[in-house]
Amino acid sequence: MSDTVTISSLSKWFGPKVAVSEVTIGFGPGVTGLLGPNGAGKTTLMRVVAGLQRPSQGKVSVLGANPRKTPSIYRDIALVPEDEAIYERLTARQFINLAARLAKVDNPEANTQRVLETVDLVDSAHRRLGGFSKGMRQRAKVAAALVSDPEVLLLDEPLNGADPVQRAALIKLFQELGDAGRTVVVSSHVLAEVERMAGRVVAMVDGRLAAVGSVETIRAAMTDIPRQVFVECSDPRALAAGLIESDGVVGLHVSGGQLRIEASDAGAVALAMPQMAIDRGISITRLEPSDESLESVFRYLVEAR
Amino acid sequence: MVLATHLYKRMMRKGRVLALLALASVPGLVYWLAGFDADPADQEALYSDIIANVGYSYAIAVLILTVATLREERDGGTLPYIYMRPIPRVTLAIWSILAGITAALTIAVGGWLATVLGVLAVGADPAMTVPGLTLFVAAAVGYAAIFVPLGYLVPRSLLVGLGYIIVIESILAEAVTGLAQFSIWRISVSIYADLAPVFGDEALEALGPVSPGVGGGVIKLTAALALGLLTLTLALQRRDAL
Repeated sequence: MSDTVTISSLSKWFGPKVAVSEVTIGFGPGVTGLLGPNGAGKTTLMRVVAGLQRPSQGKVSVLGANPRKTPSIYRDIALVPEDEAIYERLTARQFINLAARLAKVDNPEANTQRVLETVDLVDSAHRRLGGFSKGMRQRAKVAAALVSDPEVLLLDEPLNGADPVQRAALIKLFQELGDAGRTVVVSSHVLAEVERMAGRVVAMVDGRLAAVGSVETIRAAMTDIPRQVFVECSDPRALAAGLIESDGVVGLHVSGGQLRIEASDAGAVALAMPQMAIDRGISITRLEPSDESLESVFRYLVEAR
Repeated sequence: MVLATHLYKRMMRKGRVLALLALASVPGLVYWLAGFDADPADQEALYSDIIANVGYSYAIAVLILTVATLREERDGGTLPYIYMRPIPRVTLAIWSILAGITAALTIAVGGWLATVLGVLAVGADPAMTVPGLTLFVAAAVGYAAIFVPLGYLVPRSLLVGLGYIIVIESILAEAVTGLAQFSIWRISVSIYADLAPVFGDEALEALGPVSPGVGGGVIKLTAALALGLLTLTLALQRRDAL
């Protein structure tokens, strides 16, 4: 299916800071996960696609139009912003009803009720948003975005603050929207979250595209990357000597009381290490992956390109 | 209309409205205090002197209110909820300025009613206050036309607006004749001056070199409104909406 959102050579900078750099990508029907660590440029990319910010360079087209020049396109685009900004004095029903009427939705009351039911907020609809938990606010924002039944739905970290039950419900909802032919772009810095809801993943780091493809492709790329593990133990040199022949170990560095292991298969090393420590009478006081953060994994992806 | 109603309601928070009504009521209060000792024949001139000079407190009240029209949406991060709607940017600008004007008019009516109460309290003829209402209304329209776009464009718009009222309107426009012609306050006073049967000497001083006249004043206010609308429309079209 053809892309509903096309981004060509898009860059966005704020003074000397480059938030998005030379991004060319398209989003089509279905759920796409926009993955990257905090500060990767996901939010800026979404805001530019939503027409809230001008591109410094490049072009954005949503359903064939430039959203900044064609406000009528906002019938078919909705954004759930990342920040907690919301009309705290309005009730959930008033907030969603306002969104419906501003979007010129037919029968705003009925549609408000529909989306309140979709996000399971009917019982709290009379309450002011200021008294809502973060997860409830997120659901109210999602409901406000859904009230106009948009073709393109941009969701910036929509699961932030949601409890596990709410997360599962929202993920199911996004998948259903994707299956129904809507273009759903969901940003997150949590790989597991994206894995659960998106068939296609776009990974960003430092404002650039790091990887594009299926979750499996991204995972495979990640498993090729050596992981670093820090170990604090009673005899790091003895432990290093034992590990040197182990499968999956590609590098060992001893410094003070610490051993830094570089492993292509961190899982195998983690399994082998306890027995090795017992056999050699070594007591391990601390074992910690040093670069498991998404940011460092993404940096590897960028460097590997 | 939905947008204007939403913006109006957001601006008109109870605490803020009460504080601004108090500020806009200063001319009425001053008249009440001054009117007791005044000669009954001078009451009408005194009324015009006071509202033309002390009425700046109303200008400040309108500034505080109208710069908030879209600034609160921007600062509060809620602007996307109204910006990302299938509404032409010029319509968005019209409704925003209309919301600002309506809010300013609400305070205007309050400020004017305070002068009516002041007049009644000293036993003067309340009919003299009727032309005074035009001053409040004209100022509401003129200031909203410039302060709503200012609020959208400038983060410290309240400070900039105060600078405009205090430095340009109150000080520079006194000294520079040409500048006085563009002072919203003087334009509003010129409309009032044309309608008031009696206009005091101090009120004439406040008017400065601007000639009294409803027609000229309305044309200038219409120009201010058109300029404000154009500025806000272009800002909504061309600037980042965050």
